[in-house]
Amino acid sequence: MPPIIRFDQVSVTAHEKVILSNVSFALFQGEKAALFGKSGSGKSSVLRTLLGLHPLQSGSVYFQEKPLTSVSIQTIRSCTAYIGQEPVLGAETVREALLLPFQFKVHRQYRPTDSQLIEVLQRLQLPPDILNQQSNRISGGEKQRIALARGLLLGKTLYLLDEVTSALDAQSKQAVFEVFSDPQLTVLSVAHDPEWLQHCGIIFELDAGRLTEMKRHGNT
Amino acid sequence: METLDIALPQMAMLYGLCLLPWILLWLIGLRLSRDIGISILRMSIQLILVGIYLKTLFMLNNPWLNGLWILVMLIVADLSILKRAGLKARYFALATFTAIASSILFSTAYLVILVIQPTHFYDARYIVPLAGMILGNCLQGNVIALERFYSALRKNENEYATFLMLGATRWEAVRPFFRDAIKAAINPTIASMATMGLVSLPGMMTGQILGGSEPWLAVKYQIAIMICIFTSTTIACIINLKFSLAIAFNAFDVLKDEVINKP
Repeated sequence: MPPIIRFDQVSVTAHEKVILSNVSFALFQGEKAALFGKSGSGKSSVLRTLLGLHPLQSGSVYFQEKPLTSVSIQTIRSCTAYIGQEPVLGAETVREALLLPFQFKVHRQYRPTDSQLIEVLQRLQLPPDILNQQSNRISGGEKQRIALARGLLLGKTLYLLDEVTSALDAQSKQAVFEVFSDPQLTVLSVAHDPEWLQHCGIIFELDAGRLTEMKRHGNT
Repeated sequence: METLDIALPQMAMLYGLCLLPWILLWLIGLRLSRDIGISILRMSIQLILVGIYLKTLFMLNNPWLNGLWILVMLIVADLSILKRAGLKARYFALATFTAIASSILFSTAYLVILVIQPTHFYDARYIVPLAGMILGNCLQGNVIALERFYSALRKNENEYATFLMLGATRWEAVRPFFRDAIKAAINPTIASMATMGLVSLPGMMTGQILGGSEPWLAVKYQIAIMICIFTSTTIACIINLKFSLAIAFNAFDVLKDEVINKP
């Protein structure tokens, strides 16, 4: 089976600074990988490059073996959920935040029901009454899980996660691990959390924009 | 009814009035003499030149010359909008010019040809001051629209990127910022219409009354110009922002750094 994501000798420069240098790796469906390294080593830039937010200086990025172009980027974005350390919910209430993507033309016909919203929230250890809460009144950990719930409601299969467990307690973290135990979901994450790293089958180590090491172990 | 002339000694007396704010500013420690002096000098020279030019323009009343004057005003407004909005003219000059030219020409033509109906539609006495007034207000609106839109987009880069990641097209992702910028651009005109005559007497109406017009006629012209300012500002801002979207982003919907002037 071809890889879902493939970086081939990718170099990226931003503001005259090299942020990725000859990075090559591949990730297959269902694999859970973590990018590990010091601050500023280029971990988040790998995720941003895949999403078309950094122009490539050289090399190629492939998604399902199709090169990253201005046309294929729409497909990549429609299959991918990106969840940052401080996710932007982009709406006043949690309910509106969850339904936000369903206002966009591409998802308009799939608007979920309230019971589907509650079901996803419960999977992530979030109470149903959070739906009516103001987005700016909820904690960082809740925001991360709401952003994750949004990805699940959209049926995304590739998750790009940037320190997604940083604000979670043990119970919420467990719920997130359970969600990602689904073999259909592929994860490329930026992580420092040892517990998260244990759940990842592949660890890519980055240093100054270079991929210095790749470790594979039992869990995928 | 003739307007009383202001003789040269009286004009000199008028400049003397500036001494009062100048002294007050100096007393509170604001050393603005140079700026105030330059501004008053520039205003005087510019208006004298405009006076000479308008006198010639009215005397010749040539459609091509009138058109050329409006073209010059549009080019100056175009560059001024982009400079004040912090955007690079080499990328946006054509888009902004198209937006303001189309809206100004449309609203001025509508006002002059359909509403005022002078013998010659190109009559300098009508089209030059009316187009100038509409353009002046349109300029303010466009500066606000562009500046607000691009600064909000840079400030809320994560929010914009999140919308894209959630499946939004470029237009869907910028729409909240677009709406806010248009609202900010037309709000001053809406507020000005709502308080017109109550808070202040509008400049054009005052000018006409001083020029000897009947107050009722001055009121009608003021209403006409306000409606045209509102219409052209709204149209120009929407077209301008829409056109700029095709220029300011790369093929991956990311805002290009090089199109914005460094602060």
